[in-house]
Amino acid sequence: MQKQFNQLLPSWMHIDLNSCFATIEQQANPHLRGLPIAVAAYTTPRGCILAPSIEAKRFGVKTGMQVREGKSLCPHLLILPSDPPKYRFVNQALTKLFNEYTPSVSVRSIDEMLLNFDYLNSQQIKQMWVTRAKDSQTEPHSVDPARIGGYYARSLGQARGRTHTNNQLISFAQEIKTRIKSEIGEWLTVSVGISTNPYLAKLAAGLHKPDGLDEINGQNILSILSLLKLVDLPYIKERNEIRLNSVGIKTPVDFYCATHQQLKAAFQSINGYYWYLRLHGQSVDEIEWQRKSIGHQYALPKRTSNVSEVEQLLCKLVEKTGRRLRRNNLTAQGIHLSLGYEDGYWHQGHKLHDPIYTTSELFTASKQLLEQALPLNPVRSLAITCFNLAANLYTQTTLFHDELKKRALTQALDVINDRWGEFSVVPATMLRIQREGKVLDRIAFSGIRDLAEVVLKEDQQMEREEIY
Amino acid sequence: MSSKIAEKVSVNLVYNHVAGTVIPQHIKWKTHVYTVTKVGLHYTVFQGNTLLHLFAVVNDTNYFLLSFNTKTLHWQLEEIADNVTN
Repeated sequence: MQKQFNQLLPSWMHIDLNSCFATIEQQANPHLRGLPIAVAAYTTPRGCILAPSIEAKRFGVKTGMQVREGKSLCPHLLILPSDPPKYRFVNQALTKLFNEYTPSVSVRSIDEMLLNFDYLNSQQIKQMWVTRAKDSQTEPHSVDPARIGGYYARSLGQARGRTHTNNQLISFAQEIKTRIKSEIGEWLTVSVGISTNPYLAKLAAGLHKPDGLDEINGQNILSILSLLKLVDLPYIKERNEIRLNSVGIKTPVDFYCATHQQLKAAFQSINGYYWYLRLHGQSVDEIEWQRKSIGHQYALPKRTSNVSEVEQLLCKLVEKTGRRLRRNNLTAQGIHLSLGYEDGYWHQGHKLHDPIYTTSELFTASKQLLEQALPLNPVRSLAITCFNLAANLYTQTTLFHDELKKRALTQALDVINDRWGEFSVVPATMLRIQREGKVLDRIAFSGIRDLAEVVLKEDQQMEREEIY
Repeated sequence: MSSKIAEKVSVNLVYNHVAGTVIPQHIKWKTHVYTVTKVGLHYTVFQGNTLLHLFAVVNDTNYFLLSFNTKTLHWQLEEIADNVTN
């Protein structure tokens, strides 16, 4: 009955910081520990709960609920506004810690990281083991594996490792858990999942929360899947469940035992085969896709159909988007605007003739899109996205516009904002919202690729500070 | 109840070279001196190119967020909260 599960030793570790924002707030303020708290986008009754604490979850409070819903389930629920610098700092501290175990750490989101220990399986390690054994005239099994792994790890840079055994990653995980508590914060707990591919490692990390540690391998996968429902699997929600049900797959065990032809029929695409590989512990999700777009979204605290107010907010979103575009040394040749209404979305995008780069160009292009949306219904959210990204290589495209001058001005403004803080110099359109402090700092729920860039920039600044 | 303060304060800070710890011990704000009982979190942020060290600390009843500006070497009390924050 058992299909061919990947025979290699587990080399992926998924680490999930439990109730991330709320736990970090409890770490910062010990008076909040043990209390039901929730971090919300806005602390007003309609504000969205971003992270309930473990204590609040016991009352049924969930991410995505409105503050008033949370309070109806738990009248003593304490609501806190989000404080992104704290969360970024903890994320950076965790990344630094994990880098001591492997050089391959991928930050999946603010609270999820994926560690790859493939280097422990490498031929080089095995070769080194054999060579050292011959040199010391001993049998391979009598060589201290820790020494060999340590040697290889040092040669990799910072990674600290030993030769790979069945429970090697388990002991790494236990050590990581202890070090998080002693070096970053005693209130922080993580759930760790270990397996032969990132998907099953993520599934394992979700089995026991908080503070779990589980491994999924060929021996236990069926027993683990038999305890779950289809929608308990990551990335399987109602629509995928319907697809699977349509070919007679009702449970995760059916899903695992299905042939790839059956899965291809269910998903009507190559995705069926990818699911087959994923569930059997084979590699399929390891590719880091190139960035395709950069954008920002903003949920308004109060709905508005006032065009000038929407324009001001748009200007600030465009400024943030432009800064990120330039920090990554990219240009965009397409722009997309989305307006969220009470009953749905209006959205429109267009490709541009020339690549754009400056905030004023982005604002002009987005305003043209906004004009197409008039008259406005009450807007509840606003999103701007740049696409068709390319490296920012200056090429003379026109005789009549002084492109270099425009770019030099933008770079000068960026230097001022780098030195004195974001939005020290802003377009006049933004002055009013600047005073009112609208468009708060936020952390994306999914990928946070720019975090790595921010960390790098901050590390460089730290080095500069130390030099001076 | 949490309140933004953003006022200059005096802080006694103790650095222990053996343990490698840096702990604000007393905060003088207006006429009161508060004794810190625990440092919850110490983290850093950049304001432009100025590095700020932020200390989230508590005494028996209150939570304080202190910032130390590495350019001016000044301390500021950013935020204060009692232990029931709503």
